[in-house]
Amino acid sequence: MQREVGTLPLAPALRARLAAAGFQTAQELLDTGPCGLSKEIGISREEALEALQVVRRECHGNAARTAGGSGATRKCTALELLEEEQTQGFIITFCSALDNILGGGVQLTKITEICGAPGVGKTQLCMQLAVDVQIPECFGGVAGEAVFIDTEGSFMVDRVVDIAAACVQHCHLIAEAQQEEDHRKALETFSLENILSHIYYFRCRDYTELLAQVYLLPEFLSEHSKVRLVVIDGIAFPFRHDFEDLSLRTRLLNGLAQQLIIIANDHKSAVVLTNQMTTRIGQSQSTLVPALGESWGHAATVRLIFHWDNSQRLATLYKSPSQKESTIAYHITCHGFRDVQPPAVTHSTEGTELNPRKRPRTEEERQ
Amino acid sequence: MVVLRAGLCPGLTEDMIQLLRANGIRTVVDFVSSDLEDVAQKCSLSYKALVAVRRVLLAQFSAFPANGADLYEELKSSTAILPTGSPSLDQLLDSGLYTGEVTELMGAPGSGKTQVCLGIAASVSLGLKQHVLFLDSTGGFTASRLYQMLRAQTEDEEEQARQVLGRLGLCFVLQLEALQRIQVVRAFSIYELLRALQELRDRLSQQVVSSMGPLKMVVLDSVSAVIYPLLGGRQSEGLALMMQLSRELKTLAREFSLAVVVTNQVTRDSSTGPLKPALGRSWSFVPSTRVLLESREGTWEKATTQRAASLAKSPRQPTGIQVELDIG
Repeated sequence: MQREVGTLPLAPALRARLAAAGFQTAQELLDTGPCGLSKEIGISREEALEALQVVRRECHGNAARTAGGSGATRKCTALELLEEEQTQGFIITFCSALDNILGGGVQLTKITEICGAPGVGKTQLCMQLAVDVQIPECFGGVAGEAVFIDTEGSFMVDRVVDIAAACVQHCHLIAEAQQEEDHRKALETFSLENILSHIYYFRCRDYTELLAQVYLLPEFLSEHSKVRLVVIDGIAFPFRHDFEDLSLRTRLLNGLAQQLIIIANDHKSAVVLTNQMTTRIGQSQSTLVPALGESWGHAATVRLIFHWDNSQRLATLYKSPSQKESTIAYHITCHGFRDVQPPAVTHSTEGTELNPRKRPRTEEERQ
Repeated sequence: MVVLRAGLCPGLTEDMIQLLRANGIRTVVDFVSSDLEDVAQKCSLSYKALVAVRRVLLAQFSAFPANGADLYEELKSSTAILPTGSPSLDQLLDSGLYTGEVTELMGAPGSGKTQVCLGIAASVSLGLKQHVLFLDSTGGFTASRLYQMLRAQTEDEEEQARQVLGRLGLCFVLQLEALQRIQVVRAFSIYELLRALQELRDRLSQQVVSSMGPLKMVVLDSVSAVIYPLLGGRQSEGLALMMQLSRELKTLAREFSLAVVVTNQVTRDSSTGPLKPALGRSWSFVPSTRVLLESREGTWEKATTQRAASLAKSPRQPTGIQVELDIG
């Protein structure tokens, strides 16, 4: 194994000492042994032993672990991935237009980011998804649990009760209409108390708590293996105010993004993040863009931007690996996230005159 | 910087090494660059033995100069040009991706880098019937989109197949085979990535005839996702790891005649500055060709599948050429 010493996950000080002593490949380290190593570099025997264990795990572990497990490199052919994707479920949002542009709903194993101005419905959608992920499989859901990490304090339990009650009623209606045995059996466990007890809520007040929570999340998820959704409501909030060192912020955000991707992939769950909007001032006009900078835009695999058009709420799919960019309208009712009802005649003519994709502020400036 | 060890060459014994070490000569470089008469006196070793050892060490560890003409012949026979499946992109890249080189695609989020990578992988796997290794570090690889692209590409072949062989299932088999030739590895941190590249190198150098087959291309999407968490701050190990990665990629490309495609992000200096490629100046020396992808409209309000690709760095073409791409 000609693995270079520089590519092994050892502490930087130790790596520097190994390079100064002239070690180049991992094989040389393993040949020297712990006693020789501690003598040559000047570290204690325990440290040398630890370092050699890390090296051995890196180099030889792969042969033993290729059978499976999350520690080994995740290798497969595109064909196997296609089969996996076709059997994977989606988390529906109860708004069929939004499900359509997303390709069926919020995808598992991917990070979805929802950006929008205040009050446009980001937290509402997150709460709706936390309820929808628990829909039993016979009704078309993924029958999973949800983790809700709140940084802004906008999680309202009574609102979740409303949404959950509407969802349970919807499923009852379907069961009555179709009269199948497994529907009735699933409905016995799908009740309001059950839904609420399977939403695991965490409150993080600043970015350190958020980073710590995400760091501890894999352990939590291995204990609660039914979790299929992780929502972080307000990832921008702790990072936007009171952060002097911008390069540190970029580093932390990117590290966070990688950890979330690992969580999404290993535990087959969907990760949903909400982001705020900020203004970018250009030469002639200013535009609303998602916050946290350019590099954060690469973190999410799917990006949804919610915005207003007069009094209509619109959702635009901005970035997706498999779907085309498009915009749809949605509605937030007392039951939660829903489609826009077919509008009255006067309202529709108004809607077609003002192009729904153009924001009013831009139009005013143009006029 | 190889440490002197007994058995490294016939004349080198353990006692010799101890004596040399006592005088501060620990590595091959120290030995070869020191004055041997001096060393012979200080360590009380025989001058002839030292000269013999030096000759063997030089023969073992030094690089051999190569003739320019031989190098040219070797390159001519081993370099291949892989068409990307998009004629305008091929035109930009001087007829395609060259093996033995690292090509970089950079762009803002949503500009189509992953789509172009999927398109290239589909074209190489289906058209040239070569194997492709896709290293995914962002979770953006969607097999269903790849399948869609393969179906679109076999549409022409479907007509021919129907006429010549009268079998409709042939194109389906072609698509399945093409999917099997693309291997996907998910590496979400720098160490996983380095481990995957090391495994690839071992497999290729042992020439194991496995399901891997003749590998011609490695796509890494994206390199900045794994490097960004390490850069900056007061520690410099991020830069060291980035250069290690670049060395692995370049040796893979050169030694095994692979085309390596890498995707990168773009950043701004300030909120109004121009877009520039991420990872800084050190990384800018690594790829030999750089292509910038941009969407036609500046904002997210107009949806379109048109993209503009411009050449930012190339060893063969003048920079600044722009072509239109459709990622739909």
